[in-house]
Amino acid sequence: MAELRRDPVVGRWVIVDTDHPSKPEDFKYEEYIPKGGLCPFCYGNESMTPPEISCFRDSGTKANTPGWQVRVVANKFPVLQIEGELDRRGFGIYDMSNGIGAHEVLIESPYHNKDISELLLQEIESYLKMCCVRYSDLRMDKRFKYIMIFRNYGAAAGASLEHPHTQLVALPMAPKNALEEIRGAHDYYNYRERCIFCDIIRQEIGDKARIILENKYFISFCPFVSRFPFEIMIMPKQHSGYFCHISNEEVSALAQILKETITKLKKVFVNLSYNYIIHSAPINGDEDVEYYHWHIEIMPKLTQVAGFEWGTGFYLDPTSPELAAQYLKG
Amino acid sequence: MPELRKDPVIGRWVIISTERARRPDQFSSQVKAEKEDLPCPFCEGKEENTPPEIYAIRPRNSARNAPGWDLRVVPSISPFLRIEGDLDRRGNGIYDVMNGVGAHEIVVETNQHIANMADLSEEQITKVLNCYSDRIVDLEKDTRFKYVLVFKNYGKGAGGSGINHTRSQLIATPINPKRVKEELTGARLYYDYHERCVFCDLIKQELVQKERVIVEIDGFLAVSPFAARFPFETWILPKKHSCDYTRMDAESRRNLARVLKTVLLKLKKGLNDPDYNYVIHTAPFRRQKAGYWKTIDQDFHWHIEIMPRLTKVAGFEWGTGFYICPLAPEETAKFLREVAV
Repeated sequence: MAELRRDPVVGRWVIVDTDHPSKPEDFKYEEYIPKGGLCPFCYGNESMTPPEISCFRDSGTKANTPGWQVRVVANKFPVLQIEGELDRRGFGIYDMSNGIGAHEVLIESPYHNKDISELLLQEIESYLKMCCVRYSDLRMDKRFKYIMIFRNYGAAAGASLEHPHTQLVALPMAPKNALEEIRGAHDYYNYRERCIFCDIIRQEIGDKARIILENKYFISFCPFVSRFPFEIMIMPKQHSGYFCHISNEEVSALAQILKETITKLKKVFVNLSYNYIIHSAPINGDEDVEYYHWHIEIMPKLTQVAGFEWGTGFYLDPTSPELAAQYLKG
Repeated sequence: MPELRKDPVIGRWVIISTERARRPDQFSSQVKAEKEDLPCPFCEGKEENTPPEIYAIRPRNSARNAPGWDLRVVPSISPFLRIEGDLDRRGNGIYDVMNGVGAHEIVVETNQHIANMADLSEEQITKVLNCYSDRIVDLEKDTRFKYVLVFKNYGKGAGGSGINHTRSQLIATPINPKRVKEELTGARLYYDYHERCVFCDLIKQELVQKERVIVEIDGFLAVSPFAARFPFETWILPKKHSCDYTRMDAESRRNLARVLKTVLLKLKKGLNDPDYNYVIHTAPFRRQKAGYWKTIDQDFHWHIEIMPRLTKVAGFEWGTGFYICPLAPEETAKFLREVAV
């Protein structure tokens, strides 16, 4: 019998196929192998991108030249525009505003063909630190209410350029999914006076069945209510609402668990495309985030979301997270 | 300047981004690398390859599970949910669980091996639309179910299989799905405030503004929604208020068949036969019990959402529920209006 499971935070029900679970070999996914070619994110092509906003580079090297480790530039095709006023307005029953926001691209390393799993820990640490630097800077702009950090790796996951990169989007309003998480977490907090994510971590560490990796500061696990097969969550054990408040020691621990988790995922699914997203509390508003807990959600691109999911917001997970965790643990 | 637009029903914000300045015809579906065509278990004469039929239109009173049918409904071979058993709601620490009880049926829309519903006759599409209604009414009798979702996955990019025989699916669920609840709640809030149906207001405004209207035929309106999530997303709404798809009369169903065929043909011709999904959003079963609200009849308005799969949904959309639509709905509506069918 399949099982219906309810996400404790947002209340979404998911159908988990526990009868005839799909095994890794049952997924026919689009493999992703970089083709190379002229790349605006590689050394020597710095002039092909908008000028850099921020950069970690060797001392003595000039801006927009080689010699960098991590580089941040404005998106050449931004979905939102940095200048101007929001100008919220209505037209009949419809509401709208100008598309104000920031859209930046963070080039993770100079290497065209290296995914996170192939980078050195130290390189991943620089990348994560740069994410924090940009997050903290964008947060100063009071027009922004939410900052979203996400990564599309591979064509099937929506990456339009091969060279691994992460994107930052600063939004003038907290997006719907974030609001749902926050409301759900808030309701739980009002009821129990505890953070729901801290409770999830406690239960996951107790159950063990869904844990992939654990270190001093983080756990990585397949969430009890996964929308997608082999979905993974990385959570800091220490309660914190904002990703950018992470300490140096935690950055090292995060680099390690992120690298190992992606390595394990790609060992089960060779040349996989995937997305990950950093969920963090909204900014420039209600700063009381005792009830919110930042985390990273990793979504492998193994299946196509079909009509049923679009129509209902009700997802089907063909592989139970318990089984997925077993495969990932190896 | 990109524009942020809010869906008036569920409050979802969408970025209408025109920065990349692509024209509508540049979204055409890629030429498909040799369309895969797996052996078909749904054609006439192959009845033994499906589970026994639940429903069929057999004009010459032919035997069940034998040739001589116009349309057939069979249980899914790989059902998401099972029909037997109790829900058995239970907890597991902070997590809530219940058994996967439900129904999952496949509507085989024709006995011919035709891939796209757009190529069926209006008469045949009317039969399909009638069948949806009959199956929903039948499934409502099972009190374990709260909702029936009717949907279609056409093409691999839309989650379909490599079997190119047009069909749709019905899933009866023991809970009201999240998306449906959001629409119902949004519509109720609007009704509480205005004492009008938000969809009726939307239809009125679209008919005045006209720029997002694709076609208007005999009591139905096809529009590119103001806050579209995807390029060429299309909604079909009945102009006359009704919360319940199954209450449509026979003439309306024939008219709906004409609108649906017109829209599907426009998408097929204008965009090179793209993969697409559609879903019917109708009111949940209205049984008197806790959580039931009496104004559903007034505040909800059934409709069909059609979503061509021309772009990939990436991390940003999954993470935020904030969609980026690279083409303004006014442009897609204009483009589709001009596709001759």
